[in-house]
Amino acid sequence: MSSPLSPPEPPARPRFRWAQVPPLLAAAFPVALLIGIVVTLAVAGLGFGWLLNPSVNWNPSTGDPSQASFGILVFVVGSFVTALPALVLVLLLSLAIGAATALYLPRRVSLLLNGFVDLLAGIPSVVYGIWGFWIVAPVFGTTLNPWINTHLGFVPGLGGPVPSTGIGIPLAIFVLTLMALPLTAVLVRESLLAVPVAYREAGLALGATRYEVFRRILLPFARRRIGGAALLGFGRALGETVAVFMVIGDATKLPFNFFDLSFTVPGVLVGQFDSAFIQPNYLAALAQLGLVLLAFSLVINVGGRWLVGRVGRGGIAMPEAA
Amino acid sequence: MSAVPASGWADWFSPTELVRFRRRHLVDRWIGRLVPIVFLVAIVPILDLIFWISQRALPTLTWTTLTTNPTGNAGGLYGPIVGTVDLLLLGLAIAVPLGIVSGLSSAIFLPFRWGEVVRGAGDLLVGLPSVILGYFGYFALVIYFGWGASLLAGGVTLGFFMFPYIARASDQAFSSVPPDLKDAALGAGARLRQYARRVAFPIALPQILSGIFLAAAIGIGETAPLLWTALFSSYPPTTLSQPTGYLTGLIWNYYDEPLTFGTEVTLAFQAAFLLIVIVVVMNVIVRLYAERSRKKLEGLYG
Amino acid sequence: MIDGSLPSDAASSGPPGLLEVEHLGVSAGSRKILDDVTLSLPDRTVSAVLGPSGCGKTTFIRCLNRMVELSPALKIVGSVRLLGRDLYDREVDPALVRRRIGMVFQRPTVFPQSIFENAAFGLRLVHADEDEVDRSVMDALKRAGLWDEVHDDLDRSALALSGGQQQRLCIARALAVKPRVLLLDEPTSSLDPHGTQRIEATVRHLKEEIAVVIVTHNVGQAARISDRVAFFHAGRVVEVGATPDILERPREALTEQFITGRFT
Repeated sequence: MSSPLSPPEPPARPRFRWAQVPPLLAAAFPVALLIGIVVTLAVAGLGFGWLLNPSVNWNPSTGDPSQASFGILVFVVGSFVTALPALVLVLLLSLAIGAATALYLPRRVSLLLNGFVDLLAGIPSVVYGIWGFWIVAPVFGTTLNPWINTHLGFVPGLGGPVPSTGIGIPLAIFVLTLMALPLTAVLVRESLLAVPVAYREAGLALGATRYEVFRRILLPFARRRIGGAALLGFGRALGETVAVFMVIGDATKLPFNFFDLSFTVPGVLVGQFDSAFIQPNYLAALAQLGLVLLAFSLVINVGGRWLVGRVGRGGIAMPEAA
Repeated sequence: MSAVPASGWADWFSPTELVRFRRRHLVDRWIGRLVPIVFLVAIVPILDLIFWISQRALPTLTWTTLTTNPTGNAGGLYGPIVGTVDLLLLGLAIAVPLGIVSGLSSAIFLPFRWGEVVRGAGDLLVGLPSVILGYFGYFALVIYFGWGASLLAGGVTLGFFMFPYIARASDQAFSSVPPDLKDAALGAGARLRQYARRVAFPIALPQILSGIFLAAAIGIGETAPLLWTALFSSYPPTTLSQPTGYLTGLIWNYYDEPLTFGTEVTLAFQAAFLLIVIVVVMNVIVRLYAERSRKKLEGLYG
Repeated sequence: MIDGSLPSDAASSGPPGLLEVEHLGVSAGSRKILDDVTLSLPDRTVSAVLGPSGCGKTTFIRCLNRMVELSPALKIVGSVRLLGRDLYDREVDPALVRRRIGMVFQRPTVFPQSIFENAAFGLRLVHADEDEVDRSVMDALKRAGLWDEVHDDLDRSALALSGGQQQRLCIARALAVKPRVLLLDEPTSSLDPHGTQRIEATVRHLKEEIAVVIVTHNVGQAARISDRVAFFHAGRVVEVGATPDILERPREALTEQFITGRFT
């Protein structure tokens, strides 16, 4: 009779297998693509040394390339004066949506309404653009902007001439708000709903009203992730390209007032690429500007993701009570 | 909702607390009314957009619009429709296998720490402004690889664009397979590879399919990655090396033409209408499908 | 098998009720969670609500300060009176009810703030003046038996406290708004023996001033801290009475089976 226990198998030795190569390559692909994008833009942009300067003088000077000046201040200012107000609006709307979902509306109703908000994310950028350009712009030009101008004209920046087309900064803010809303709204909603029910009940049991539960319990608990959601929404607004280009008027100058035309960093990247084909240093300057935008976007996204934590993987930094 | 305490309750609270309570109660009631109104205001624009684009597009949208090529200042959408489908299929041919395997690796094969690196990179790719990808596609594929502005360059760029969405969906799908199943499979002597293929994949599949649909819906609406890689054409592509038209590009090229001379702007609105229909239908399908497979999973795992 | 009628001593032999529950029923659709519960809960007494899990005792205690209304699917009938006034009167706001009938939950629910701000949470809702807040917080922390451990660092994060300390902080937070009744829903179920012991000591002191209702499935705990016991089973009150009577000389077979550990 043989021994009832067969001799122990030798421990499995990690052995190189060809079958492991494709999955590993695929896994490495996101990292490789990211590096590839950075390297490509750097190679394309840095052939003439550093071309950009922080002035308002954006003059590619197609006649004499050596006279070109690539001051990016106009675009940077344009990006911030549209993205920051959009961020404020997005945050207010998101908090209202989150509060309504978490506290005030019945589940079914909020599910339906949130479906519409999610739908905003699916509408192509260029569709927002054509809608803004033809349908919304006249409303801004003939009604909204003049109304603000008349009633709030005493506020610095809200006085002065109002272009009647409606194209300009307010319309860009409006479109950006819609486009950045779905992402931020989802994240804010999730972070409010992630606050344990026990904490809401603890507040209510102390005689707090629903609003006080929102203000004093949900907000402080979700503060960090809401900050991250805001940052990611801001990143999206700063990076939005096509739609903003179509509704902001593409003026290569600093805006005169709130209603003026302007230009953004992604806008100039998409809008002037065609004219830059024939002039190597112009093209390189745009690629450099792309690199700047890329760096900005990476910083904002890293920060935002870090604050938000990984949604849906249990990585929520929630103080555990016991 | 009831207001202030009935007379019988007033003596249980100090006068100050009762006054405060009235105020707190009113604040809560007004916020409770305001907040749903703000919510409704937030969804008015999407309805307005759908209504007005339909209103501009539908009166002259006929079968001929869908079957003729754009010609100067008239014509239809045939070339760009075919081009959109070709670009999308080519992009998916790259993004789907790459995305699924990448998500599989980061969720199952790689140690958690390395998985985090891969997921982090994917999140950053999702967050990139799409114009950056257009620049990358132009400089890397069109120029350095020498593909020229073509269906190939456009499709590959679009594939790169959709890839991180699919990878993320696939990673989440594989990660959300109940860990007991992994223990059970490995405990029964299966290799990790066998577990991935026989156990995890069938369970993750519905969620991955949803992710692919969503990625396609987002990809179909992109403009900036294609402008200089696929360029544009009014005719359906016949080879991989030709410039190719697409619906978003048609809108981009035609939206600010003068209204008086031709039908370009109307054509752009019709392209926008088609895109909205496609995107809305795809979103609805994903929602229904996700809901159904979620119920099925709940049935499986109580 | 179970006699739904009320054991006779509930109304007659106990002290006069502070909280009077009459014909209280809670149902989810066709399923009855509580069925015709009538109970009298006296002042300055610890009343234990004892029973196996799923018997409706948590639902019952949540009816006593209208927390039960947070589950919209539940239908509530009957009445709960505090000193003769109906809590479910349409004129009465639940927020006011809950300021006079405080509640502490199974797991500690401290907020991510300092110890002081946690204890002051309920007071801050009405913008009480600072001196009053200071005084009330100190008083509440003392009554909850936490003052000696934390008075040196009230500004420390409450999340740094141990589980038992957190639960006593929750009790202090509820006490700070000066409730007439304190509801404790299995307050020691997530605590270690030492934490449990401290909570039980705190509860024994509290009854000198207010009424305490504590839900527990632990016969020993009911014996240690309660003056009266109501034994629940399947949504009904099986038996009510003074603690030694119920635990040592149960009249109902179900009660006896539970006490002797034949079902849990």
